Amino acid sequence: MMERWLLIGRVALRNLRRQLRRSLLTASAMVLGVGLLMFVRSLEGGAHLVYVDTATRMGTGHIAMEHPDYMGSQDLADRIASPDLTRVLAAVEGSVPPGELVAVFPQLNVGGLAQSATSSIPVRITGVDPTLEAETSFLAGQVVEGRYLTADDRLEAIVGIGVAERLRLELGSRLVLMAAGAEGDLESQLVLVTGIFRSGIPEVDRGVVQLPLPTAREWLEIGDDATSVSVILMSDQRTGDIADAVRSHLAGEGVGPERLAVRPWWEAMPDLYAGLRADTVQTYIMLLVLLGIVALAVVNSILMAVLNRTREFGVLRALGLNRRAVGAMVLVEGVILTVASGLVGMLLGLAISMGVFRDGVDISFLFGGELAFAGSVIDPVIPPAVLASDVIAILTIVIAIGIVATLYPAWHATRIEPAEAMKTDE
Amino acid sequence: MNEAYPAVETRGLWKTFGEGDTAVHAVHDVSLVIEPGEFVALCGPSGSGKTTLVNLIGGLTDPTRGEVRVDGRDVGAMSEPERAQLRLERIGFVFQAYNLLPVLTALENAEFPLMLRGVARDERRQAVRRLFHEIGLGGLEDRRPGALSGGQQQRVAVARAVLGAPALVLADEPTANLDTQASDALLGIMELLNQERNVTFIFCTHDPRVMRRARRIIRLVDGHVERDAQKQPGTLPDWVLAPVGAE
Repeated sequence: MMERWLLIGRVALRNLRRQLRRSLLTASAMVLGVGLLMFVRSLEGGAHLVYVDTATRMGTGHIAMEHPDYMGSQDLADRIASPDLTRVLAAVEGSVPPGELVAVFPQLNVGGLAQSATSSIPVRITGVDPTLEAETSFLAGQVVEGRYLTADDRLEAIVGIGVAERLRLELGSRLVLMAAGAEGDLESQLVLVTGIFRSGIPEVDRGVVQLPLPTAREWLEIGDDATSVSVILMSDQRTGDIADAVRSHLAGEGVGPERLAVRPWWEAMPDLYAGLRADTVQTYIMLLVLLGIVALAVVNSILMAVLNRTREFGVLRALGLNRRAVGAMVLVEGVILTVASGLVGMLLGLAISMGVFRDGVDISFLFGGELAFAGSVIDPVIPPAVLASDVIAILTIVIAIGIVATLYPAWHATRIEPAEAMKTDE
Repeated sequence: MNEAYPAVETRGLWKTFGEGDTAVHAVHDVSLVIEPGEFVALCGPSGSGKTTLVNLIGGLTDPTRGEVRVDGRDVGAMSEPERAQLRLERIGFVFQAYNLLPVLTALENAEFPLMLRGVARDERRQAVRRLFHEIGLGGLEDRRPGALSGGQQQRVAVARAVLGAPALVLADEPTANLDTQASDALLGIMELLNQERNVTFIFCTHDPRVMRRARRIIRLVDGHVERDAQKQPGTLPDWVLAPVGAE
């Protein structure tokens, strides 16, 4: 049985070689199509990694932990109490594999008002650990005037460039922040502008103020509590597993989901996740249409080969090969052609992605000004990234095309009647 | 070959192409019995139904009416896979145009049916080399059909047809494209196989050399058997080549 399949494979290979020019022309369409698919997906994958990296470093982290009601209420009453905060930090330490953890930091997020001598506007006020944030936060690298916060700061704050413009603030300007404290009373805090940042995201630049966490805690009278804890990981590959591990670690400590929600970034930032999914689906649809056209070329090529060899298939039937085996011979031929050229196409795509454009593709010429996506700003130089999931998906698509595109010619070959086939000229 | 049954038996066999006024009866009420080990020539003018009859016997086409039995088995009642299996195990074909697979070597072409039957590689290669040596193809095993002469290709086709020790070989104009020397050599080989291995041979032919060697001649005219007679090898009765209606 095995030898019969080897024979079928050998005949298929030799037939491809026999029609070398036609095989190469068909293969070249497949190589280009799959190469393009691979390259575009690696570029898109790279862009998505950049989006996610930037978004997670904006404050949410790869894993965000907060009271389950806080996302909806934004009320300080729904905060993480100090003892739970200690357990959360221990759970993260105990759950993240060595070398995977970049930083874990508590934050205090609250909605409030920022008032200058001239005006007041609603803002999002964030109390941060300056030391940890300076190393990992995206905003720490976006300061365009002044400096970022340091561990020695007490009453200093940084503001978005939009906030500065709307409140006519300069470095050293005084700013009063007002928000509801732990007891529900309106509390105010005077701060000095020590830095102005430009993130490129309008809603962040026009509405975010950061100040040291100890100052924010003292001002809002929440002791050592926090509203959220963010975990930054080395890569996004194991985010889901690590989130599960933290969740079960905390459950073992008696901190269940009713007290603390542990969310991977795709749950904490559903808009970004939906945007990335839509982007991926759109790309696949576009490229599947392209590969559909390539598949038609494969159908045409294999069908021509079958029609040209009608007599040969008749002989095979006369020699005792049944219909199924004749069909399998054509199917194997088509699948070999498609998969082999698809693999070459994948290698071509990899070579373009990881060789020619190893340092990234600058797409800034396509956009004026800042480039933002689903609430996340991105670097216009996109480094291609080849994801295992894409390689598997593309390989599956290639094999599927090989089979689907060869089904009709194979079926046609099975319908050849030997006696009629013998009358045809080759 | 199962000696209890005729090698081939047809009863009231018809094959009609087309319908109504345009219907053509390629085979017309043919009833025959061919015993194991016979060396039979089917002759007749072009269009007399020789090839169609051979195709019906080989299960390559379905009869419109009647019955074909090979080795006692009703070919018309078989499913397609069963017919394929019958051809693989019991019937060898030799075609006028050789019909070797161009992508396989001479040896691979000859061993093809054996490979389909699952015969071990060493065993089938040994059988092919032995037969190649006997029929003058020694040393040509690795050549592709395109690198062989017509006579050599036809000998490979004969080797392919007989290597699996079939009960029956159906040969459709096997010498039509060969010169005298190659034809004689090929017929000698087939005679030898007929005598030594008791293989039944049925030839469709216009070639007097084939008819002369046959021990039985069946003459078809307009799809039906006009005459069917045993004869001595080496002789050629006048009626065989006589124009239609001359008798």
